[in-house]
Amino acid sequence: MKIVVCVKQVPATTAEKRYTSDFRLDRASAESVINPLDEYAIEQALRLQEAGAVESVAYLSMGPEQTAEALRRALAMGGDEAYLVTDGGLGGADLWATARVLAAALDKLAPDVALMGMASDDAKGSLVPGAVAAIRGLPLLSYGSELRLEDSVARIRRLNATGYDIIEAPLPVVASVTDQVGEPRYASLKGIMAAKRKPLETWSLADLGISADELHGAALTRVVEVRPPEPKAPTERIEGIPPEEAASRIADWLAARKLI
Amino acid sequence: MSEVFFLAEFAGTPARSAQELATGAAKLAREAGGQAVGLAYGEGAADGAAALGTWGAARVIVLGDSNAPVITHAAAAASAIRDGGLALLAPATPNGRDLAAAMVGLLGVPAFGPVRAVRFEDGRLRAEASTLQGTSVTISEPSDGAPGPAVVLALAGTFTPEESSGTASVETAETAETAETAPADGGRLAAPRIVESHAEGKAAVNLEEAQVIVAGGRGVGSSDGFAQLQQLADALGGAVGASRAAADAGWVPYQLQIGQTGKVDLRRHSAPGGYADSGECGGHQQGPGCPHWRVRRPVRGWRPVCDRPQVDR
Ligand SMILES: Cc1cc2nc3c(=O)[nH]c(=O)nc-3n(C[C@H](O)[C@H](O)[C@H](O)COP(=O)(O)OP(=O)(O)OC[C@H]3O[C@@H](n4cnc5c(N)ncnc54)[C@H](O)[C@@H]3O)c2cc1C
Ligand SMILES: Nc1ncnc2c1ncn2[C@@H]1O[C@H](COP(=O)(O)O)[C@@H](O)[C@H]1O
Repeated sequence: MKIVVCVKQVPATTAEKRYTSDFRLDRASAESVINPLDEYAIEQALRLQEAGAVESVAYLSMGPEQTAEALRRALAMGGDEAYLVTDGGLGGADLWATARVLAAALDKLAPDVALMGMASDDAKGSLVPGAVAAIRGLPLLSYGSELRLEDSVARIRRLNATGYDIIEAPLPVVASVTDQVGEPRYASLKGIMAAKRKPLETWSLADLGISADELHGAALTRVVEVRPPEPKAPTERIEGIPPEEAASRIADWLAARKLI
Repeated sequence: MSEVFFLAEFAGTPARSAQELATGAAKLAREAGGQAVGLAYGEGAADGAAALGTWGAARVIVLGDSNAPVITHAAAAASAIRDGGLALLAPATPNGRDLAAAMVGLLGVPAFGPVRAVRFEDGRLRAEASTLQGTSVTISEPSDGAPGPAVVLALAGTFTPEESSGTASVETAETAETAETAPADGGRLAAPRIVESHAEGKAAVNLEEAQVIVAGGRGVGSSDGFAQLQQLADALGGAVGASRAAADAGWVPYQLQIGQTGKVDLRRHSAPGGYADSGECGGHQQGPGCPHWRVRRPVRGWRPVCDRPQVDR
């Protein structure tokens, strides 16, 4: 049994983010990290490996060359090997191009489970798992708060409005997990040292048999304008009066705007 | 092809998102000289489909009326929109995202979102999104020659439901799933199935659907504190939401967690009408620009989201 965890490198939450002149996220100047929600997917995969349900855990990322750092960090948490798809033709890749490329790389790696985080921290689309599953014609098990593997089926536990469902599909599958799978581990010093010796392979688009033409210049979408948000209306403060009075002032304010 | 499609989720009755998107699709279709066409799925979809005419749908295609995982309906949805169209509006909910994503994968169409506004300018679709933690607004469009329909993930509140006297014609997708048919079928996009369902408590007000959220965090201190927030939520006609810390502490079930579990994510600006916040420490859950209004009460001992009580609009 083999899991490939898809890991995106994103600017750190605290990093100052901005767009480049061609309306792309400036990835080069911001401190980058493993997408925080992908750490949960890594944790889930490593727990399955420790429990003996999985033999190998590999990582896959598509990104500029610096993304190798994120993959080394993932390898420091555990797992066996990593693959980076990097290609000048992929700058500005949109959802469709990203899903297409990840699907091709996953076809090549042929894991039993392609495991993803539930969303990226930068674009927040939560669309890659469903798009990759559709391209590969595999079942999608999304938003799992736990992933279990048995014989030839995968099961996720997924919250619903009143409790949870257990959802099942035959392997191979594409799955995504939430932050409920358990706190991700920190890399130990030993893990960091060991990661340096683990295999990290780099693939270009040609290695995946994809031509730049096929990718429509990496995107079916384009950003035509970036502007600052509208200024916020001035804040109205209600203070220095008894709570009851303040509450009724707030209620009146909301009612006047038909918000309640 | 000038259809503006929209995903219409049912849970007995049409979800709030279905009403919003029907209204939005009808508005866009009027701008473009086309029709609003609903793709209905979920329990009650077959019986309730015609009612979408009330919010402006001209036509509704029923994808299935079982509560099977939404991805089960991907093949039927793809064949319904395969001939093109201007746009497919999808709710920025977990189910909406999964089905929208499958359309992009199956049909190779552009995707936008999560957006807070969408319009046509000179016949071109323009999607407006708030990005980088609300510090910028981007306008995007399909690139030249991209096939349609463009998939647009719309945040809750992007459109306001407007009722009319319209009626919708209803048809059933050829490959529609019914409650009786088994979902998995080797010939189609292999589908997962629900094998067990566990109820853990009474149905909470669906956070995804709530127009007003009263949110609490660690500062609320106890489940009793959350009972008070519930009273306020009831009075405002809204739902209680909680931070991860409050859910971890067991004061509320995880179903009420705002944030990263896929229910509601204010970080993604899935803007409800209002958001009252008490005792949440200033995490990154609250993205600027998400709510139309906020009432906040700072907490002692935790880094508050603001330095004093305030009402923003
Ligand atoms: C601010 C901003 C807005 C954007 N808006 C759009 C838009 O409207 N339409 C559009 O088509 N594109 C958009 N993009 C481009 C988008 O970043 C890429 O399409 C991206 O690779 C996939 O989308 P996502 O980040 O939303 O991933 P999500 O679908 O949120 O990611 C879910 C999971 O997929 C996996 N994954 C995602 N990307 C990668 C990767 N590169 N390598 C490995 N695993 C990955 C991870 O496991 C991740 O947790 C935007 C980018 C930015 C920065
Ligand atoms: N040189 C590159 N090689 C591979 N992927 C890239 C490259 N540059 C950007 N990407 C990816 O393309 C997507 C969009 O990137 P960007 O246009 O930088 O926002 C992200 O997933 C990036 O990681």
